[in-house]
Amino acid sequence: MRNYLFLLVFVLIGGSIAAQEIAMNASEISAFKQKVISTAKSTNSIKADFVQFKHLDFLANDVKTSGKMVFKAPNLVKWEYTNPYQYSVIFKEDKLLINDGGTKSKVDIGNSNLFKKLNELIVKSVKGNMFNDADFTVSFYKVSKHYKAVFVPKDKKIANYIASFELLFNKDDAQVHEVKMIEPSKDFTRIIFGNRVLNSKINDSVFSN
Amino acid sequence: MIRFSVISLSLVFSLTSCSLKTTEGLRPIDLNEVAKLNKVVENLYFSNPEIDYVYKAKIKVYNKNFGGILIVKKTGPENHRVVFTTEFGSKLLDFQFDGDKFTKNFVVEDLDKKFIINILRDDFKLLITEKSDILETFSSEVHNVLKTQSEERFNYYFFEKKTGKLQKIINTTKRKEKVEVNFTSTEKEIADIISIKHNNFKLTIDLEKFKKE
Repeated sequence: MRNYLFLLVFVLIGGSIAAQEIAMNASEISAFKQKVISTAKSTNSIKADFVQFKHLDFLANDVKTSGKMVFKAPNLVKWEYTNPYQYSVIFKEDKLLINDGGTKSKVDIGNSNLFKKLNELIVKSVKGNMFNDADFTVSFYKVSKHYKAVFVPKDKKIANYIASFELLFNKDDAQVHEVKMIEPSKDFTRIIFGNRVLNSKINDSVFSN
Repeated sequence: MIRFSVISLSLVFSLTSCSLKTTEGLRPIDLNEVAKLNKVVENLYFSNPEIDYVYKAKIKVYNKNFGGILIVKKTGPENHRVVFTTEFGSKLLDFQFDGDKFTKNFVVEDLDKKFIINILRDDFKLLITEKSDILETFSSEVHNVLKTQSEERFNYYFFEKKTGKLQKIINTTKRKEKVEVNFTSTEKEIADIISIKHNNFKLTIDLEKFKKE
């Protein structure tokens, strides 16, 4: 009996540790949004390393790739995988400039299809400032060291591809720490940023293929 | 005389164009002789259920290039999952092969066309098929060539004599080569580089295995 009690207490405490995610109240949300928006405004450039994990339920290990990301205000982004292969995409105006291990191509996003939009979404989230995107219902949570924003697509077509989209923000500087894209099948892609450098001078030539 | 040689030339040409290029110059081997060897052909490149087979993929259709990640896993004795994602991780397609049963778990709208699905299904099926019965066997200086049947078509498996490694599969009709798959491997059961080339239209799929960290 004592053992059961012990187990019950353990489960309850364990449960509360796991459920450290607390919904933010209205004033917290508005303060948080303000902070993200003002941070985004004062950010002219971001350089960061990232590690990406693709989780598929049938695999023994997540598929791991990594690389570098460069953002220059207002809307230039270079997303570059360096390990285990070389692949980069530059988002420039309404074009995607792709360099796939030396094979270069250009894609017009003017007549974009859905999966290019999905890729775009990840890049947009680098800045974090996408709370007013009309395509999503957003909810906010506090987790130990981070704030979490969960985006659920309103559009049924998008919902076929993404169940939800989560951004983790550092509490101190309101920068995006992690992006997680969860598919309806529960498989997900997680991207974690590190070695972030803000407002360094970045030459425009970085964004040409 | 000139007319004769033109006729004979064109005759030779038309005769050779009727026969399958794949077996040209190969020496047929008596099946009794083969009986001493295996009766089935084995492709072990996707046969280990412990391994997550992950490849960087480059696809070229006519003059368009696409990239992505191809993931293959043996999930049961006769079962394979084949998933293709973008570099960013978005799933483009998710196929399941259970013996002869094929299931399309997911396909992104832009790719969900019968013509495309059938080609990719057949290509992936060719890659993951582990065992097939041998119909005929041939030999060249460097290769043992084993012919198998695959529905209306045939597959020719080229094994390097020296190493026993599977180097090439050619998928044919009675007269024409349709698909050619080349393997480069350092270990016998792991293909480092795979290239799939279609002969009836301009489609190539190049796969390069993720390096171990």
